[in-house]
Amino acid sequence: MICSDAFRATGDAMAEIQGAPGYRYLTTPHPVAGLTPAQVRERAEAVAGEVARMLTGNDG
Amino acid sequence: MASEPDPDVAREAIEYCYEQGWTDGLPVVPVSQALLDQFLAQTGRSPDEVLWRMEHLGRECTVQTAAINAAMAGCLPEYFPIVLAAWDAVMRDRAAKGGGWQSTSGPAPLIVINGPIRGELGINSTGGNFAAGFRPNATIPRALGLMLRNAFGVVPHVFDQTTQGIPGRWAICFGENEEESPWEPLATEIGLEPGTNAVSCTLTRTYEFVDNRHTQNPEHLLNDFADTISRTGVMIFRAQSAGIVFCPEHAQMLADAGFSKPDVKDWLVEHCGRIEADLRRAGKDGVAEGGFGGRSASDEERVPGDTFTPFLPSRASVPIVVAGARNAAISMVFRVFGEWSNSSVEIEPAPVAAASSLDGRS
Repeated sequence: MICSDAFRATGDAMAEIQGAPGYRYLTTPHPVAGLTPAQVRERAEAVAGEVARMLTGNDG
Repeated sequence: MASEPDPDVAREAIEYCYEQGWTDGLPVVPVSQALLDQFLAQTGRSPDEVLWRMEHLGRECTVQTAAINAAMAGCLPEYFPIVLAAWDAVMRDRAAKGGGWQSTSGPAPLIVINGPIRGELGINSTGGNFAAGFRPNATIPRALGLMLRNAFGVVPHVFDQTTQGIPGRWAICFGENEEESPWEPLATEIGLEPGTNAVSCTLTRTYEFVDNRHTQNPEHLLNDFADTISRTGVMIFRAQSAGIVFCPEHAQMLADAGFSKPDVKDWLVEHCGRIEADLRRAGKDGVAEGGFGGRSASDEERVPGDTFTPFLPSRASVPIVVAGARNAAISMVFRVFGEWSNSSVEIEPAPVAAASSLDGRS
């Protein structure tokens, strides 16, 4: 899961209430809503490496 | 004769409620089993009946939990059927079912009450209908706020993600001024029998006054409303919903000029909106036609600058109520958060056995 960093508190609380305290997810800087498609692609490229590391367990 | 209540004991109980995290910041009424029983006696519904379950939070609110929170909010037991009807009414709103309570918009329920119960319980429908000073008007919406907090755990900074919210978020409840309205009551317009005690409720985003004591021309007046309704700042999607709480003077002026309530709605549907150049200037010309979609400004001009986009799709997106005093031409435009259900919920009368808590008080 990836969300903007403004929603960390809610994301952490949601994980806890769903029985997964400490659930790990990635964030991208807030805001996202007003980005152009090109800027969204830049964000995706910036986080892609972290996504791969998290999925493969190579993130320490 | 009963002795005077002990203020220190009362305060101790109130502070206990604060310590439990049960309050919205203001003191609540500590609830005994006896008081709870008085509330539950006002409804034929089972205390265990689930009013609503928020699946994603794994939490629910029963009739009993609602009663506790209504009592804590300062309601009289007689208000409880209205609290239940208000909850049922707002949950017909698609946005309320879909996570609207946790929205960054921090929407406020707008609760409108029709029928003779207004007079019986002292629900204000005239001067100061948005202002403080009347127990049912103040405590019924607060009960909904406490239900959200205490039953569902939707508290600020965690599951309540409100960015700024609306002033008086849990304080917007009034009767329709049926006596001075030239039009049929809201609940009757929607389909209930005249004289029915009913609640209509929707989530709202903001309230903006229109002060027009300047003209006797109904089209001038309607243009003033259209200007407020059509501002670009409120626009998220091209289609939106805005209602008007008309003061009696504005409503009567329009009615005297031959405007029925549907006529007013039709006029607003036709005239509220903006031309593309205005939307482009505000960076909102990329907004999709309906539902979720593009929000960012377009690089290219999508249509000619003088193309008009109407904001209100239909009569159903323009709820109209009459309330307030007949002493100045000041009305209120409100923004529906999502999509109003366009329905009213009948207030179930209390079972015959329920004694009024007002009896024997005088």
